[in-house]
Amino acid sequence: MKVSSFTEKACLRVFNKAEDREIENGYCGDFLSNIISRAPENCAWLTVMNNVNVAAVAVLIDCACVVLCENVEPDGALLERAKEKGITLLGSEKDVYKTSLILGELCRTEN
Amino acid sequence: MECLKLEFDVDGENFSSAGNASESVKRTLKQIGVPPASVRRVAIAMYEGEINMVIHAHGGKAEVDIYPDRAEIWLKDRGPGIANIDLAMKEGYSTASDNIRSLGFGAGMGLPNMKKYSDEMKIDSTVGVGTTVFLRINF
Repeated sequence: MKVSSFTEKACLRVFNKAEDREIENGYCGDFLSNIISRAPENCAWLTVMNNVNVAAVAVLIDCACVVLCENVEPDGALLERAKEKGITLLGSEKDVYKTSLILGELCRTEN
Repeated sequence: MECLKLEFDVDGENFSSAGNASESVKRTLKQIGVPPASVRRVAIAMYEGEINMVIHAHGGKAEVDIYPDRAEIWLKDRGPGIANIDLAMKEGYSTASDNIRSLGFGAGMGLPNMKKYSDEMKIDSTVGVGTTVFLRINF
C-alpha cells in the first residue's frame, strides 16, 4: 500500500510530504533503541515522540513514513529535519493502537 | 589491506546532531556497495554509540575504518567512565535521567544493541577518565 493511500484512508494529517513509498509493514514504539533494532524496513512507524531524534531514527531504519499519533504535532526542529531528509511525517488523531488497527487492516486488504 | 578512514566529532551538547555520524557512515557504506543487512548493523551499533556519548560523556570521537570485508569502529570519550560494565551490558539497565528518557532514550538497550549487532565488541573504561568502545562488524 502506498503512503498516500494510507494517508487518505486513515484520515491522517500531512506535516511533511516526501516520496510516496510502499508500506510493507508497521512498527509501534517510542523507545528509540527498540525502534532502530526492531522496526522493519519500509514500515509505517507509529509513535507519540515528536522531537528531532525521530528524524535520525527514521533515516536509520529507512521507514516508509512516520505517524505521530494522539494528535501529537512535530516540534519545529523535527519538522525542519523531516523536510531536509525527505521523511514523510504524518499525524493521527487516534491513539497508537487504533491507528495500528487501521494500518493492519489496510495492509491485509491492499498488500 | 586497503582501508577507508572516517572520523567524526560527536557533539555532546547537541541532541539534534546525534545520528549524523551514523547516517554519514550508512550513506558511505551504501555507496560502496556493502550489503544492506551489514549497513543496517553498522548504522545501529554506531547510532547507539553516538547517543551514549551524547547522553553520558559530553560527546567524543568516532573513528570508522572500512575494509572490504568489515568495519571497525572506535568510540572514544572522556566521560565519567562505566563503573560496572557487566551491569551496563544488561538489557534494561540505564543510568539516564528522566529528562533523557522523555526524549526516547534511556531504554537500557544501547550497549546490548551494540553487542547484538557487532561481531566483536570491547569496552575499555576507567571511572573518571573515559571510555573507549571497539566494534567490529563483518560484512
